[in-house]
Amino acid sequence: MARAKTLRAPTTASLPNNLRIPSTTPSLAKSLGKHSRQALLDLALLWLDDRNITSFPPYLQSNAQNDTNDEETLPYPAAETIEDVRQAYIDLQDRKGAKREVLERILEGDWRHGITLRQLAMADLRYMDDHPSSLRWTALELSRIDARQNQPVDTSMPDWSASIPRTQAATFVRALQQEISPLVKAHFHLSRSSTLPLTFLRIFILDTPYQAPRQTPEVFADSSRVIYVAFPDSCPFIYTSVSTSTGSKAAPSTSSVATDPRSLQRLVRDAVPKALSRPHERFTLKATALAAKSLPTLLALRGPGRTTAANGAFSIFADAVVEGSPLDPRPSNTVSAEEHMRVDSKIVSTEDDKENEGQANDVGTASKRQKAGGDSIGDGHLSPTSKKRRLATYSRFGTAGGSHTPAPLDRLDIRLLDAPSSSNDGGDTATAALPTISLTFTGSDVIGGIRKLAELGVIDPERMPSWMTGEEAVSMAVVRGGKRMKGSA
Amino acid sequence: MVFPARDASASPDPHEQQLDTDIQSIRAEIRTLQRRKRFLTSSLLSSDSIQKLIRKPPQPLLSSTTIADEVSPLVRAAGKHSDSNHHRIAFGTTAFPFKDPSPAGSAESSSLLGVRIDVCVRGGRFAKPYYVLLKSERVRGEKERRLRVHRHTVPAFIDIARVEGAYLSFPGSRKGQGQSQEGDSDDEAENSEVLKGARKNRRKQDLRGFVRELRRELVAWHLRGDAIELLREKLGLSEDEAQIDPAERLSPEARGGIVALAATAVEARYVRLEWENGRVGRFKLSNAGIVERAVVIGDDGRDKPMEDAMTGGGGRVETLLERLRERASVAA
Repeated sequence: MARAKTLRAPTTASLPNNLRIPSTTPSLAKSLGKHSRQALLDLALLWLDDRNITSFPPYLQSNAQNDTNDEETLPYPAAETIEDVRQAYIDLQDRKGAKREVLERILEGDWRHGITLRQLAMADLRYMDDHPSSLRWTALELSRIDARQNQPVDTSMPDWSASIPRTQAATFVRALQQEISPLVKAHFHLSRSSTLPLTFLRIFILDTPYQAPRQTPEVFADSSRVIYVAFPDSCPFIYTSVSTSTGSKAAPSTSSVATDPRSLQRLVRDAVPKALSRPHERFTLKATALAAKSLPTLLALRGPGRTTAANGAFSIFADAVVEGSPLDPRPSNTVSAEEHMRVDSKIVSTEDDKENEGQANDVGTASKRQKAGGDSIGDGHLSPTSKKRRLATYSRFGTAGGSHTPAPLDRLDIRLLDAPSSSNDGGDTATAALPTISLTFTGSDVIGGIRKLAELGVIDPERMPSWMTGEEAVSMAVVRGGKRMKGSA
Repeated sequence: MVFPARDASASPDPHEQQLDTDIQSIRAEIRTLQRRKRFLTSSLLSSDSIQKLIRKPPQPLLSSTTIADEVSPLVRAAGKHSDSNHHRIAFGTTAFPFKDPSPAGSAESSSLLGVRIDVCVRGGRFAKPYYVLLKSERVRGEKERRLRVHRHTVPAFIDIARVEGAYLSFPGSRKGQGQSQEGDSDDEAENSEVLKGARKNRRKQDLRGFVRELRRELVAWHLRGDAIELLREKLGLSEDEAQIDPAERLSPEARGGIVALAATAVEARYVRLEWENGRVGRFKLSNAGIVERAVVIGDDGRDKPMEDAMTGGGGRVETLLERLRERASVAA
């Protein structure tokens, strides 16, 4: 703990990776305590990995010799070699026990001299992998500000690839740092998601460089000072954990230097498109009216795949469940949607082997579940009305909200601008005092819930507007005449 | 998990569990066999000889009723289906009508024109078909109706809005307005400005051109991905079962020390290479399958001869490894 007193001078550099937070900080123990025992063990072993060991070595006996503290009083004697430390965690992994013992070993034993900022960032990202809906993400579209749109297309081989900024991660972080360094002191950590096709950038915002006083170590584990930006592969969108809507909002208080974490966050978020820009290739962020807790939802609705612009009734096209491959001899109306989805791009294999059996079971259970749902309405056989209703529901929702393509929205905000009266005549006259109705749906899966209501006959599937089917793929919308208006939210 | 209720309540009797798994596996087998039976029947029904037999002109001498009257509608459906499959295979792009089920909008505006694009990929398979649904909309203040892209399943890295802007020009719409939106009162003034400009250089909508460009881009993407997969298989880096002849796979010595080769993103435009001595490289693939640009960097700076070997000699990506090997043998 006795680090040499270094000379402190204000710089515009980012916070170093190896800045240590004292292990005794209570908020540090709290933020590491969120993890499960397994996650803590994985983290410790990752920190002890050969690639990382130099950036945050554990406390060894060689350190202890210079230490004046009485070694005997400490619960965890310092290990001799790194290999010993590794072995200790592998042993912990093999036996069952409380999470507490791992946490204590990390904080009071092997990293008693402090946890570095990079370690903390790695721990936070691990937490995000384990708990994918711990944050609320907003999808933003990257769009180019360019003069190219007026340029006639007369070249023989025009380039139709979308305007996705191509940049090296390190270059991007340097550009971002340059952009914000006069205003914000921050720590950056880039990491690839282990489960999703995303790259995360974790930005920890400490303060402005103009506020000289030393920060208490508490702030380093303050989660409100952390921004995440996720970059999905190959698509012109980014996701951020900052909730404010558009980037171009006028700053509320430009006169006084705003140094609270929120305005610093805004500064950083505004700097992201600038850092992605290059000369002759400028980007800006546009709101896309979508925010959700689950990252898979964002990837489905604003991602690189097929479902970005085909949802609700059109999800049958996105999942290609209407028709099979041109090599499939079976007429498409005899093949169930599940089978279409299952065969994927492959030709239907005629010789089913063991590995297909598992999938077949899945399909079996799914159809069984649907049957069970039908049983609750009419025993055994579906009545003609509920059958009709089910077909209508399918035609409106497609595969959305079903069990096969999970893209749950946790919140759907709708503002209706229509006059509440049912008569359509004279709608233009009463513009002065038109009441607007705001609807908010919340739940674990809003669209799936609406679909269930339609299946049960609570909502008329034929007459309900398309925003209820998730066709617009938004979580906020302003609706007039059953249609979503552009430029809302 | 087929019988969740029983699993939760009953004690896990090993004998009963055994029976349950047996029943499950038998059911799965029955399903498999049923599927196989259906597959074979439909193959048989749509087979060429049967379809030809049905279409044969009736021979009045043999019987009073023709075959065509007797066959079940199933056979006809199979024939129709194989016909449409032939179109899909031969032309790659087919059109179909689709009705938007949304109650908003008139009957006229809810009928959509669907375009289906089939792309043949490696191994004689077809990728999931791509769909574009077009909506015909009335141009503001005019009688003419023009097509607009309503929904599509084209991956986001192909800028469909730009292709649309070039081939399906719609007065009043700007680039980036992929989806149709109404009630856009804020942009009214701006729109009318654009409207004037668009009137001047009014172009005819070219649906064929639009589909051609879109299809070309999709095919090029699949070809790029396939080429990278081929290289990976040659290098023995692929996890899936290889589709190439085992003889084509390179021996560890012939790999030139390449330990990793992968596309940097879904778009498969850039490919990253890694050598065992720490050199890293990256090259860009053109739509035609040519290595356009390449960079190789080692501990002592750029490796220009290597880069030249990658882009030189026609630059075909499929023969990239052979070129690298030749270069290595020349250098040695």
